[in-house]
Amino acid sequence: MNRYFYYNVVLGTMLNLMLFIPHILVKYRYTGAISSMAVAVVIGTVLSYTFTYVIQTFPGKGMPEILYLFLPRAVVIPTLLFMAAMWFIASSIALIGYAVLINRFFNPDTSAMIVLALLCLVCIYAATRSSLSVMFMMEMGLIINTPLILFILMKSVRSENMSWDAIRTVANYWQQMPQLAPVAAASYLFTGYINFAIYNRLTPPNFRLRYRWIVPVFGTVFMLISFFVPIGFHGTETVVHYIYLWSVTSDALIMNYGFIERVIFVFLILYLNLTLIYTTSGWHQAMEFVKSCFPANKPDVDQRKVPLSNWIITSVFGVLTLLHLYFFNEKESFQFASGWLILRLFVESITVIGLFILCVRWRRASS
Amino acid sequence: MLNRISTLFADAKDLNALRIENNEMIIEIAYISSLCDESKVSDFILVPFQKEQQPFDLILERNPQFQLVHDPAMWTHIILRGFVLLSVKGKIYSLDTARIIRNETPLTQVETAILGPQLALSEDLVDSINIIRSRYPSPDLGIEEKTVGSMSQTRLMMLYDNRHVDPNVLSEARLKLQSIRIDFLNATGQLERKLNGKRSLLPTMMITERPDRIVNCLQRGKVILLMQGSMFAIVLPATFYEFMHAVDDDYDSFWMTRMLILLRYIAVILTITMPALYIAVVSYNPELFRVQLAFSIAGSRSAVPYPSFVEVFIMLFMIESLIEASLRLPKYIGSTATTVGGLILGQAAQQAGLVSSIMIIVTSVVAISNFVVPVNNMSIAIRFVKYPLIIPAIFFGITGVTVGIFALVCYMTHLRSFGKPYIRIFGPIKAHAGDIGQVREE
Repeated sequence: MNRYFYYNVVLGTMLNLMLFIPHILVKYRYTGAISSMAVAVVIGTVLSYTFTYVIQTFPGKGMPEILYLFLPRAVVIPTLLFMAAMWFIASSIALIGYAVLINRFFNPDTSAMIVLALLCLVCIYAATRSSLSVMFMMEMGLIINTPLILFILMKSVRSENMSWDAIRTVANYWQQMPQLAPVAAASYLFTGYINFAIYNRLTPPNFRLRYRWIVPVFGTVFMLISFFVPIGFHGTETVVHYIYLWSVTSDALIMNYGFIERVIFVFLILYLNLTLIYTTSGWHQAMEFVKSCFPANKPDVDQRKVPLSNWIITSVFGVLTLLHLYFFNEKESFQFASGWLILRLFVESITVIGLFILCVRWRRASS
Repeated sequence: MLNRISTLFADAKDLNALRIENNEMIIEIAYISSLCDESKVSDFILVPFQKEQQPFDLILERNPQFQLVHDPAMWTHIILRGFVLLSVKGKIYSLDTARIIRNETPLTQVETAILGPQLALSEDLVDSINIIRSRYPSPDLGIEEKTVGSMSQTRLMMLYDNRHVDPNVLSEARLKLQSIRIDFLNATGQLERKLNGKRSLLPTMMITERPDRIVNCLQRGKVILLMQGSMFAIVLPATFYEFMHAVDDDYDSFWMTRMLILLRYIAVILTITMPALYIAVVSYNPELFRVQLAFSIAGSRSAVPYPSFVEVFIMLFMIESLIEASLRLPKYIGSTATTVGGLILGQAAQQAGLVSSIMIIVTSVVAISNFVVPVNNMSIAIRFVKYPLIIPAIFFGITGVTVGIFALVCYMTHLRSFGKPYIRIFGPIKAHAGDIGQVREE
């Protein structure tokens, strides 16, 4: 049971590459990225420990149900809608980023709109499934993809072409004061736990989460790799020129044996899978948040017949995502993403702390 | 009674409706001679009736094989099942004399194992249950009888181990069996399709003829459905992994069988993705492969005048019709068809420049790996899965294939076999930790 929590953590951590996070960090490499990363580790760890404390207090209850326990409807519904928007935006940024990436590397002749439409269609289909199915889907997807991604990362870390000198140069800037944008970006790597706001509905009654140290350890290792390895490959100056930093980095690797020579294709296929899983999970949760606003809604974690409302809500998500790509270009998308990351840091802290306060008050009242 | 029965079966020449008498009384008997074992009729009814060693109505009362029939509406049904109806002093009795033609001691043909039991289930329910019971000597074996089919009135037996079976599965199976609307039920596959839901891509129940598999499944708490007139049983619920598991895997050398299981998964992945990947690599992303390989693929395709998906459709059409033809042809001509089609046509098509030689390899890999799946109904379902994947490959190349596979995984994870998940990691579940989604809010 514990593993399903860590699937979410691992997915969130690994997906940071798709949300421009290495690029944001690299932009601040001389002006506080490293100290920001240290701060982010602390923030991420504290938040995740607090949040897991909350969800263990209310096993089987998602965030909407917990909120309804304490707060009046009029407060809860706007909160839920806001949460839905947050989740939807996160996954849509990743999906749009990926559609553009595919357009650039795989199908340069097709327009990004059409590729995005295909991705949206699949995500709409997948997100309408029940929470339990989405969880199983995440499990299967990660079991297939993670070993290969770790293989590529190992390959990159152990590559002979990496300049450890460049890494040391950048690492020397650790005394700079942390800044908001890189802190927000780096803390994203620890944020997978927040998915249990909805998936906590699936937890069994006496749920105890163990091995919580995995969250900071995995997050930190992954953060260091995703920040330093591109610097090692591209050098301290050129590294900032790439938005899709890791795609370019993986193109610097080759596999000597086997059918496929350029690592970038394997990397892109794996990350396409991850992005689809992430978007599915995000849209599914946003959908559940929206559905929780209706008084008649009874959360059912293993609904076999997909209700029409699921299709309607996720289709709206799909259309909104397409509209975003239509109206904004890549640069604006990037600005949007970095703004969203900062907003997310605050929203998440407030949510987790708010839930924690409610939880502590509830414990006092019941004891 | 006789009058009524003769009017009901007015045109049935094989109905025997007799009125016989001895010194004591007159009885009426009716049965369909073709369905009944005439020697049984004479042993149990005619001879004791004529010998008059005991009063015949006393025999009827004392022998539990004669059962009292209260409801005249059941008469036709009883006679059609191969029973004899007797009318003695105003009371109606029935006696089971059914003679069922079946395959005698059948051997496994569909799901063979080298070092395993060679006996398969029988087409007769009683024989099948005999085979199963003798292998599963447990008082916990529960057997329920059902009838399905408004016209065929096919008898079904539901077997399960009382101690191990999941009550939710059992009740869902009962509910589904009740809700089946069908006129004629001829084969187990038909029943499986009815239970599976309308347009299901993958089977969620196993169809097997092997008693050892059935006994294994019973022991693991599964429900078995046997059907009169079919030597195959349905096993439910089933997970995806069980379809990839042959019974030999438990009988043969450990390491080799593990390797075979791995090989089956690879084969399934290949048979599903190869045609789509060929299209994607040839038409969209030749840069995916290393240069030498890309060149050799392009070189072998240089004579082919049309896009890759046409080529794929031609070859898949050929191989599917070959498989279909070798299935339909009488056994003696079957091998000729495969030789002509497989060897000669393939070679000629490549030399004529209609298809590339790589495509021939792709086709044969697809066809061969398809038959590695041990359970037949899964093998046939997987035969279809490659076609939906071709369509995104035609329009989006490698992206389309990836997205298609993702959609397939989503479909599979949403499948439930009688409430049980179809594909996930089935690890040991600690009782104190519980399982995900265990509690459902009502």
